[in-house]
Amino acid sequence: MSEAQVIGSDAKRDCQVIVTPAPSLEIEIKASNQQLLEPGIRAVVKKTAGALGVSKAKIAIVDRGALDYVISGRVEAALRLTFPELTSAVSRSIPRQASERNRIRRSRLYAPGNNPRLLIGLELHGADCILVDLEDSVPLSEKQATRILVKYLLIAVEFPEVWVRINPFDTYGRDDLAEILRGRPHGICLPKAESSADITSLSKEIEELESSYGIANGTTYIMPIIETAKGVLHAEEICTADERVIVVSFGAEDFTRDVGAKRTVESLLFARSMIVTAAKSAGIQASDTVYSNLDDEKGLIAETKQARNLGFDGKGVINPRQIEPIHVVFSPSEQEVKEAQQIVAAAEEAEEHGLGAIAIEGKMIDKPVLARAQQTLELAALVNKGGS
Amino acid sequence: MKNVLGREIPERLAERKLRLFEGAFATTPSGRKADRPQKVVKLGENKVLSSIEQAIEKTGLSDGMTISFHHSFRQGDRLVNRVIDTCARMGIKDLRIFPTALFPVHEPLIRHIENGVITRIEGSMNGPVGAFVSQGGKLKDPAVLRSHGGRWRAVEAGDVKIDVAFIGAPQADPYGNANGINGKTPCGPISFSAVDAMYAERTVVVTNDLAPYPVYPFEIQQGWTDYVVVVDEIGDPDSIASGTLKITRSPTRLRIARLAADAVVASGYLKDGFNFQGGAGGISLAATKFVGEEMAKGGVVAGFAMGGGTKLIVDMLHQGTVRTILDGQAFDLAAIASLRDDPNHVLMDPGHYANYDSRGCSTYMLDAAFLGATEVDLDFNVNVNTHSDGLLLHGIGGHQDVASGSKMTVITIPTLRGRLPVIVDRVTTVTTPGEVVDVIVTERGLAVNPKRKDLAERFQGAGLPVRTLEEIKQEAGGFTQPPRKPIFGDEVIALVEWRDGTIIDTVRRVVGWE
Repeated sequence: MSEAQVIGSDAKRDCQVIVTPAPSLEIEIKASNQQLLEPGIRAVVKKTAGALGVSKAKIAIVDRGALDYVISGRVEAALRLTFPELTSAVSRSIPRQASERNRIRRSRLYAPGNNPRLLIGLELHGADCILVDLEDSVPLSEKQATRILVKYLLIAVEFPEVWVRINPFDTYGRDDLAEILRGRPHGICLPKAESSADITSLSKEIEELESSYGIANGTTYIMPIIETAKGVLHAEEICTADERVIVVSFGAEDFTRDVGAKRTVESLLFARSMIVTAAKSAGIQASDTVYSNLDDEKGLIAETKQARNLGFDGKGVINPRQIEPIHVVFSPSEQEVKEAQQIVAAAEEAEEHGLGAIAIEGKMIDKPVLARAQQTLELAALVNKGGS
Repeated sequence: MKNVLGREIPERLAERKLRLFEGAFATTPSGRKADRPQKVVKLGENKVLSSIEQAIEKTGLSDGMTISFHHSFRQGDRLVNRVIDTCARMGIKDLRIFPTALFPVHEPLIRHIENGVITRIEGSMNGPVGAFVSQGGKLKDPAVLRSHGGRWRAVEAGDVKIDVAFIGAPQADPYGNANGINGKTPCGPISFSAVDAMYAERTVVVTNDLAPYPVYPFEIQQGWTDYVVVVDEIGDPDSIASGTLKITRSPTRLRIARLAADAVVASGYLKDGFNFQGGAGGISLAATKFVGEEMAKGGVVAGFAMGGGTKLIVDMLHQGTVRTILDGQAFDLAAIASLRDDPNHVLMDPGHYANYDSRGCSTYMLDAAFLGATEVDLDFNVNVNTHSDGLLLHGIGGHQDVASGSKMTVITIPTLRGRLPVIVDRVTTVTTPGEVVDVIVTERGLAVNPKRKDLAERFQGAGLPVRTLEEIKQEAGGFTQPPRKPIFGDEVIALVEWRDGTIIDTVRRVVGWE
């Protein structure tokens, strides 16, 4: 048997699966607490094989504490590797709790889709959005197994808001999408977005899959990541290309590489300003790039403050411990809350009296300002609830 | 017979009439403490011996006797195996060993259980010896597990009569004064053995560093010591104490630690003079760090910290966030150095901090404590001794003593270990009863003992995710098929004593699987 046929890794919370053709269904299990765990693991393997209609295979599995969804993901990937004619039949049956277009998105927590240990408990750290990655963090040889694993993750786990970053459409993006939408993520994150055409072709593909998977049309959001020179210059058309686009994010690492710049405040300023401006002009949110030095909390806070000052609504996070500092920066100050309360109160009073225009101390308040004030209060309420 | 927790306890076992656990503070001792024979060492007499063999001969150690040890060398211990090997070579058999704890390094003892040199064990078993004993039929009598304070009490009360105490000492003088914080291979306090030294028929101090009289502090005193044996090696310095204990980097465990620290902050106990028990486990260590940060932020100064010295707590002492450390164990080199150098870092024996039958315990002065568990159940009972497969793998440590003393006892656990749920309907073994457990913190939220409505209200007020244990159990259970359960036979492998000497539970032999 060749090495390549093993699906999964020998890391903790993962399992390794090898499938070979056999006259009947044979399941061979090795687990650390064999006596306790063998029957449960067997049940999961059987169910997964059954859903794919497989009855003639030997499935050998070595478990290192994998949860059921991990076992299912690994087993399905191994079966489909050995029997390429198989197609997935498993989908999330329960619709995902809807997520408001302009809800608060201070943090988006990245997790590599191929590492079960890092997928466990992602939803528990208080991040506003979870972003499971199929792109940069996943080696080519694991693309197929990873998208299957992530599908099962999405089927099993409830998230406040979950996105999947697929590969670019000209590489593995289409296959990613077809698999992943079965798990009904809130949205799809498209890397290296460079034009409105990138977005519309993705949107069209999503629409077809929504129909065939029984997902309400138009409910899957798109988050383009702008991370090339071309993308920055086309920010406006990217942000306005489709109704599904509700937030756009910036990828500084790829961008600096693309333009040949060093990562400094100045070298990023134009791109960041361009993206924020395009997003706000399109009435959507903008989310800043990740800060990759995990041990430098001061640097993280400084960069997050810059982002907030520029108008960004949130920032990427590569480890749960970056969440709290980011949320603190994006939390409104007492003064901001006070002003927001005044604006909202004035608006309510104006409405009561049937006045069209809102004014505070003779100064007119227009709609975007009111919307901003309402969002500030929402944020403040979230923070007070312990949502930081 | 069933005890108050509904656990089936035999009436008698190995000629011992068992007393049933009735509640954390239900019993009142009577009678007088045990004693030891009178003896005088006269002017000019020499106590120094040159070998373990000589000590065995001099003390009259023979078949059927009880010998004791401490565990302060942990994984680095070289003494226990050596003494038992020597006994075996000298043809001594049928020994009862009474260690404070055994570690994986003591796996060679299994051979001596098989060949009859050791026939009884009363003491914590961490690892292979415990797993071996769990298979049953190997020891003449069931093992007996006691907490730190429970062991001290058992000796004082005469429940366990020690014939010869072997006390490994990193430094000793020729007259038998000894401690664990000085010498060539310091291991931290050895006062666990003070009660052995005081009550054993014969007390032998074994050292690899014989220093001029007087060696102090006197953890072990000349007036208790019969002989001093000098050997070349008592412990492997690389395995005795770690350089620095690492704080967990697991996001799940950090989240648990954060919630536990938030609970302490919200509890109302965190104010000047706050007394707490840290811990050396990954989660407890992180929780202690977070509480320390909160104290520094709010300018709160703790009265004392205890729980096994670590660099983390020592740093808090030196930064002025903690006034005093009371230490019965030291887990890293910084803690050992601080015990030597800082007068506010105080040596403490288990009798002082944990003995139920006494006129006071330091644990009763605690406001908050972080403890772990292998399992907890819906009644808040905690198991630290056995795994879900029924195998005996850990000692009690100070768990019972600290939990029953602390105003707020916080158990920190992940909801799953691998595929195994940690919250169960009924723990495999009860080590610590739910009546002394206040809060269980998991990565999926925290559960408050219904007895502590006051805490639940404070936590809710602070926006902490308070949930029922049942809810948390359900949610975590959704991620794995339930594991199979062991079926237990009648044979009792081990007795689990509550700290007052009553029996809180038994560990029985696994005979099959459901």
